[in-house]
Amino acid sequence: MNPLLDQFITEGRDILQTIGERLLQLEDTPDDSALMGELFRLVHTLKGNSGLFDLPEMTRVLHAAEDLMDAVRDGRRPFDRPVADRLLEAMDFVLALIDEIGDSAEAAPPNTARHANDALELANALRGLLAAAQATTPTATETEPAATPAPSPAPAAMPLEALPSRIQQELTQRLEAGEPLCWLTYEPEEECFFKGEDPFHQILQLGEPCWRRVSSREDWPPLAELDAYRCILRFEAILNTPAEALHEHFRYIPEQVRIIPLQPPAPTSASSSEPPPDAETTWSFNVVLEAQREILGLTDNPPWLSGRLRAVATTLEAAFASIGQVVERDALEQALHSADASHSSQPLLNWLDEQQRRGDTQLPTAASPPGAPAEDIAPPPEAQEPQEPIKFGRRAEDRLAGHTLKVDQAKVDRLMNLIGEMVVTKNALPYLANRAEEVFGTRELAREIKAQYGIINRIAEEMQDAIMQIRMMPVSFVLQRFPRLVRDTARKLGKEVRLVMEGESTEADKNIIEALADPLVHIVRNSLDHGLESPAERSAAGKPTEGRLTISARQESDRVVIEISDDGRGIDPDRIRRKAYERGLIGEPELERLTDQEAINLVFAAGFSTAEQVSDLSGRGVGMDVVRNAIACVNGAVELHSQLGQGTRLRLSLPLSMAVTNVMIIESAGQRFGVPMDRVAETVRVARNDIRTIKRRLTTVLRGRLVPLVTLNDLLALTIEQVPNDDDEFAVLVVRIGADHLGIIVDDCRETVDIILKPLGGVLAGLGGYAGSALLGDGSVLLVLNPRELL
Amino acid sequence: MALEFKKVTAVVSEQMTVEDAEILLDWLIKHPRGRINLSACTHLHAANLQVLMAARPRISAWPRHAPLAAWIKAALTP
Repeated sequence: MNPLLDQFITEGRDILQTIGERLLQLEDTPDDSALMGELFRLVHTLKGNSGLFDLPEMTRVLHAAEDLMDAVRDGRRPFDRPVADRLLEAMDFVLALIDEIGDSAEAAPPNTARHANDALELANALRGLLAAAQATTPTATETEPAATPAPSPAPAAMPLEALPSRIQQELTQRLEAGEPLCWLTYEPEEECFFKGEDPFHQILQLGEPCWRRVSSREDWPPLAELDAYRCILRFEAILNTPAEALHEHFRYIPEQVRIIPLQPPAPTSASSSEPPPDAETTWSFNVVLEAQREILGLTDNPPWLSGRLRAVATTLEAAFASIGQVVERDALEQALHSADASHSSQPLLNWLDEQQRRGDTQLPTAASPPGAPAEDIAPPPEAQEPQEPIKFGRRAEDRLAGHTLKVDQAKVDRLMNLIGEMVVTKNALPYLANRAEEVFGTRELAREIKAQYGIINRIAEEMQDAIMQIRMMPVSFVLQRFPRLVRDTARKLGKEVRLVMEGESTEADKNIIEALADPLVHIVRNSLDHGLESPAERSAAGKPTEGRLTISARQESDRVVIEISDDGRGIDPDRIRRKAYERGLIGEPELERLTDQEAINLVFAAGFSTAEQVSDLSGRGVGMDVVRNAIACVNGAVELHSQLGQGTRLRLSLPLSMAVTNVMIIESAGQRFGVPMDRVAETVRVARNDIRTIKRRLTTVLRGRLVPLVTLNDLLALTIEQVPNDDDEFAVLVVRIGADHLGIIVDDCRETVDIILKPLGGVLAGLGGYAGSALLGDGSVLLVLNPRELL
Repeated sequence: MALEFKKVTAVVSEQMTVEDAEILLDWLIKHPRGRINLSACTHLHAANLQVLMAARPRISAWPRHAPLAAWIKAALTP
């Protein structure tokens, strides 16, 4: 299901609930105009939203409700019980539709054409109240106003007899062969041409009919007086198309068509000679039905469920046929289908209930003979009592809870913290296992503890995953504002820009997504302002005048990668060097020494701006350093690549979630420290002989590359020598600092663990060099280093 | 322009739009014995159909497009 529809359903349910509450409040205080105003706005919003989707039935009812409320708001109609009743009914109907849409698993809203008739009736009923109000004086509406639906232009019943006998014969044959023939009368409204409709086109779309007639609703006037644009046509046809398909075809104009499914004429001898079911048949029928009910009631879910359902459906059809009750095969087929799809027997049970309810009214007088005229089975809407309120409320009352929970974020965060604790606590089990083996010497127990640990570990990880899912949000949450932002900014700058967004459905933790919002705006503005050229510049450079800005998001293992690239002028490393030198960010020697890539990375330096003048968009020197810091705050990384004249590409890489951190435990000076795993490139052993001193700095060569080395004890200002192992090799932890690698000599590298990183608080908060602390499974505190700040 | 007027015959090209209905009506009023050649027509807007039904001109050629021809014949020959 697409996110827009999802949102519509969630919002729709909320709005409907509020509407319901307001309606009830309004019944107590009918003169509260503020309340009425709010109610009107709610209905208006819902109607507007429904218009976004292909849901004409919902829109129709809401539109009528809106009209009625408008009249009430303006005092043209008092708010009384009938009005409230009708409105509540209408809202129940809308809720039922929303539920149906919500239940469907498809991406597009399911077809609700089936409800077209109900929608039409409801709308007419609502309009009827309005008409009644206009007819009577406001004081006289104490009595129940006559809710007369607008009489539909109903021609006389099917004049099948009027058809030529040859066609009648053919129709009978085809009906007996089981073809779903329908009689269609289509009278386009007079102004339809002005609405851009082409009734003839609609008719031609239906395919070849069995019989057709085109006539006029009035006599044709002399040509000179003819108004070509007042439609008075009437189309009639008998089509070999199921009624639902026709309703679907005309779903936008249900009031202009009449669709009557044709039934085969009663076989004259058969129906009269068939005896009503006797007691014995009825008894066995009931036994069969009970048995099927029992089968459907089974709650197990065997692999042969689909076959079982099919068998039940066939049995039921046969059983009903045995007592001469006509079964609507379509409905049964549909119930079977949905049962099959949902792997439950509920739809079939529902169908059975429905059938029996109907049967209860029919059976006493024996079954109705097969081949009853269509009207007997499915009375057309006109036949219904106009005063009879249409009930859609049952479903609305049945379902108490919606499908979506709105939960305070704090509650989810608490869950998150708890599972974090759980993940850490479970890490105590391996320690316990070791103690059991080493201290108490019970290897058996140690093994059992490890086995239990395996299970707890699995459950905890799954639980963590589930809770993370709750907090996951699609990147589109921050991306959705960009089309507008890019358009407006580009217009202001006189540039032509096409924004391409990819992978908006990529998900990441809510905090990460929210942390992305501001940096992304900065980056996009930078691209628009500095990156992309004006159309004239672009065509001079041989590029299309329209610039292209691409924002793509994707997931790479446990990180979200967001790339913002443009095909603009790119970054000129020389210009950056010059600017950086002018601003005193680099000295003279660096001016010569910096590589192009290093120069480009200077844009991340604080206080850097290349724009010659400060615009209201960017250029105040608050920019890329803020971006980098904001991303670093959520453990993200930024990479910038640029090709002069070709464009710029910024790559943001962020963790999917930040609740649990994976750290490597290292030892130095007899203490244990943690280093975040995403900083660790590798761990190696380097022999003392391989460590060279260049200009008083330790270095070593790793795979043909020079890697500077530092000792952790130096960094921590400890005066203890690092301890090599028995082969006189040092443990070196190679970490990434930006794009560079640095080797940190430690005493030993240990295992990696999942921990919850808690920032240092209180007096310790000012200590640099530490990312935070965590509690280990054995109860000790682990300090987690932040290599970047240590240096 | 979907209509090409010869001496006594209006030749309809592929599609007759809603605007053509007025032109057709004017021409039929001026040429009460005018004939219509629909052979190339693949669709005509309902407004045109209405004009044809009211005027009942002679059709010199029915549309080659069979479904359309069937409907127009049904409309013009009750």
